[in-house]
Amino acid sequence: MTDELQLIAAAKAGSADAFCDLARRYRERLLRFLLTRCANYADAEDVLQDSLISAFRYLHSYDPRWRFSTWLYRIAIRNAAKLRGPDLVEVGELRDEENDPLLQCIADSETENLWLNARQLLNDDVFAAMWLRYAEDMSVNDISKALDRSASWTKVNLMRGRRTLESNLSDVPDQSEAYG
Amino acid sequence: MSRTKVKPMDKLAKRLRDDAARIDVNISDELDRRLEASLLAVTPEMADQRSVTPARPLMFWWASTMTGVAAAVAVIAIMNWQAPQQPAADVPLNIIAVVPEIDLKAEAAVLTNPLQEELDNLESDLKKAEEKVRRDIGL
Repeated sequence: MTDELQLIAAAKAGSADAFCDLARRYRERLLRFLLTRCANYADAEDVLQDSLISAFRYLHSYDPRWRFSTWLYRIAIRNAAKLRGPDLVEVGELRDEENDPLLQCIADSETENLWLNARQLLNDDVFAAMWLRYAEDMSVNDISKALDRSASWTKVNLMRGRRTLESNLSDVPDQSEAYG
Repeated sequence: MSRTKVKPMDKLAKRLRDDAARIDVNISDELDRRLEASLLAVTPEMADQRSVTPARPLMFWWASTMTGVAAAVAVIAIMNWQAPQQPAADVPLNIIAVVPEIDLKAEAAVLTNPLQEELDNLESDLKKAEEKVRRDIGL
């Protein structure tokens, strides 16, 4: 973390190399998340690039009280929404099976991946909240900041999302032995 | 040794975490070069660049407020200055000369004429009846 703060300080002072080092820590995680929110792989890469550029350009406005990843995710979520346009259609409506970037990144043997179900069952914001909570291990407060929602909205929708997925899990063959 | 019971929620959380990790993503060399080149081309804004800006909105706020007040005063002054001092139209002094006199009596006579005739007829009938009675009794 101290190392990260040093990199942030150097990047704030204008060091592009320091920011590139910083970006290397997060870019794969960000791209993985963006694949769930973009219509195709190329869009996800474009949003990743735009988000990192915006983060570097406006790094002076970063508040160190937040986790750096929270701030990055907030920028990425906004940029992904901008790419989709003002009509705010759900991501699922944009995507076709052949170009689905998430399916492309999941091996054929892993088609039971719960995130595929989550994307079908949950709306975009609830999906994002679930992702940030369980894939990124963010706190409720950090998720609220990243999604620009209240903490109570986040709590309620995390609970709803979990219930929805749980009820869906009880319909599919149980794989709990692998984790028990 | 008893097997530890895993709560459903924890099981779900673990599965979500594991499934997220199974999404196979890697940054290609091409994307790596693209990202690095774009970041090297960025000129970050410095904190002191934005420190100039806070005074501006306050100044704008005052300027817009004063402009609004001045405009309101000007509109009120113009409205009062153009307010009419005289009646909209001249009223004729001699109304009687202009407006024809209505003949109220004539109208009353027309209305009461039938009643008056009826009364006259009744009175003459009464006189005739009195004369007939006097003649019959020999007065």
